[in-house]
Amino acid sequence: MMRPRKWIDPTWMLAPTLILLVVFFIAPVGIAIYQSLFSWDLLTPPKPVGGANYIALLKSGELFWVTGRTLLFSAMVVSGAMSLGLSLALLLNRRGLWFSFVRSAVFSAYVVSWVAVALLWLWILDPDRGIVAKALHLAGVGSVKLLNHPDTVLPVLAGVTVWKITGYAMIMFLTGLQAIPNEVVEAARLDGAGALSRFRFIIWPMLRPTATFVGTTSLVISFQAFDVVRVMTQGGPVRASTLFVYAIYESIFMNLRVGTASALTVVFFVVLLSLSWLQIRMWRQKA
Amino acid sequence: MVSRRALIGGLGAGAFLGCRKRVIDGRQVARLWFCYGGNNRIALLDLVNKFNGQQSKALIEPVFQGDYFESLAKLRTAIAAGVPPTFSHVLGEVIPYLSTAGVLEPLDDYPGAQDLDLVKPLAQGGAFVDGDKHPMIALPFNRSTPIMYTRRDMMDAHKLKAPQTWDELLSAAKRLYRNERDGLRWGFEVPIDWWFWLAMVGQAGGRVIEPDGRITLGGDAGVKALKFWQSLVHEHKVMRPPPGRDFNAWNAANDDFLAGRAAITWTSTAYLRVIEKNASFPVVTCPLPGDVKRSVPTGGTFFVMLKEVPQVEKIAAWSFLKWMCEPEQTIEWATRTGYLPVTNAAVNRLRNQGYYEKHPNDWVAYEQLQHADPWPWSTTLFRIERDIVNPRLEQAILTNRNAEDTLRDARAEAEEPS
Repeated sequence: MMRPRKWIDPTWMLAPTLILLVVFFIAPVGIAIYQSLFSWDLLTPPKPVGGANYIALLKSGELFWVTGRTLLFSAMVVSGAMSLGLSLALLLNRRGLWFSFVRSAVFSAYVVSWVAVALLWLWILDPDRGIVAKALHLAGVGSVKLLNHPDTVLPVLAGVTVWKITGYAMIMFLTGLQAIPNEVVEAARLDGAGALSRFRFIIWPMLRPTATFVGTTSLVISFQAFDVVRVMTQGGPVRASTLFVYAIYESIFMNLRVGTASALTVVFFVVLLSLSWLQIRMWRQKA
Repeated sequence: MVSRRALIGGLGAGAFLGCRKRVIDGRQVARLWFCYGGNNRIALLDLVNKFNGQQSKALIEPVFQGDYFESLAKLRTAIAAGVPPTFSHVLGEVIPYLSTAGVLEPLDDYPGAQDLDLVKPLAQGGAFVDGDKHPMIALPFNRSTPIMYTRRDMMDAHKLKAPQTWDELLSAAKRLYRNERDGLRWGFEVPIDWWFWLAMVGQAGGRVIEPDGRITLGGDAGVKALKFWQSLVHEHKVMRPPPGRDFNAWNAANDDFLAGRAAITWTSTAYLRVIEKNASFPVVTCPLPGDVKRSVPTGGTFFVMLKEVPQVEKIAAWSFLKWMCEPEQTIEWATRTGYLPVTNAAVNRLRNQGYYEKHPNDWVAYEQLQHADPWPWSTTLFRIERDIVNPRLEQAILTNRNAEDTLRDARAEAEEPS
């Protein structure tokens, strides 16, 4: 192992990154932890309240519901994006103009901004004038308020998110598929392995690192969900689509409750930390 | 604590010094943060341009900041950061809180402030309980009340008169409702927003906050109002809660009324011009119906000046505010938007010019002011609205949750320290 000639050398080389890390990541978390112990609205003097913000969040059930809702949303987004992305990658992993076109079409949603996607789907799902409402009406289903019912709003938002990021998942899986040596698959075919067996015993094990990567990035995207909520539902109806980041935004920017927003941020940080820890553990176990 | 504010303030001061243009071509700049889109934005910007073109001392710089709530959030953040605009306009409900926080400039001593001859129910003195016992920190700007919008063609076809009571409203809504087979039309539609609930609480004889400061949320009257609302949606099925939250729901209700999907709607006078202009049918406004009495809250915003800005900017802003209160501007603003004229001189001039005969819908809004109930001067009013009542109203109406339980929970939360 190489040793530095002077102990200070690696320190100053790391300093720029370290400073950025401290200023933009570590210090804000520290400030959030500190502020979560106060009741403060930015304008009047802050009042120290100890753990009252956390207790209030627990007592009102808000913490439980926001965490549960976000985890459910993430589960839907991650499973949806992964399964659809993989299916599309398997279907479209072929040469030809038509397949290239479909691949580009699927991926195009990923490069469109979140706000544009949200506005587009808002229009499609409009309960009076939207294409979906018209189609359901023609099919005799009657009026279905997908975005305006507490039971349906979360799956719908998850669906929109999946629609947006599936292209990305598909491209990642395609990259993974194309990295699998053709000879291995051919050899299995010659040995009499059917399509399902080839997928189960050859393709999937070799795609696992890609799947882990897609799963992780989808998880991150789902936990960051904000624009789609802000534009399409503003957290409603009945807070049924108030996900973690939106709850933090609403607390601090709409209601100016700095203490509550900070407490939510701290919990969010802990949840993300736990998920990362779990993920690293799973990786290490597999390795 | 001081260090946090100092940190934010320090960062803000940098931005303040770097970005704030104080004088342009020898004219003092005053920045106005405003919250309008559409027709109201055009009307305001025209007035600002007119002011800027008429004199050479002050230059008003209008900056759009989103809807009322977004703008308010930005304003509070800017104040905390030490970079407030010179002046802005904010919802009435938040004024007691901003006043107590000590961030608003008292306007009493500015030249001509005592001679504005404001319409009392719309000005601070009448819009709040004991509003005139506090220094004048707010000037009425775009002030409104909720009113009922109906279609003359439909009302005539069904031989209906403007509903005077809740029972009459229900009966009219039932008559005007048309089912999906015949082309769905809701008899009545109103955004699920505490402003309308507040009107009904007042009509049922209640108050959200009692004169002694107790938060009752209307007590039995609050429950009665909520139950009536729920019955329109769930029992009689003549009303649909418009989709979306905040102003999205307001716009949805307006769209439904304009598209013929709702026969009667309650919304702000602020939409009067837009609705009249875009309706393909004759629009008739009526006062909100009463229950045990008539009652409406006032709405809209007041101009406020921020304390922590240089005095020269305040003087420039005041010259604009005073100019806006002159009859010409007050009339232009009111007639182009549907907001209420805020000075008696403007009302008298409109009356003398025969404006109200030609625009009876505007007169309905003005006349309804006799039933306007003042807001309590309470620092928690805005929190009660945004954090406590509005989400629960949405829940109670969409899911038909028990009204007593809903308001009991809301009262319990309102009593907890914020």
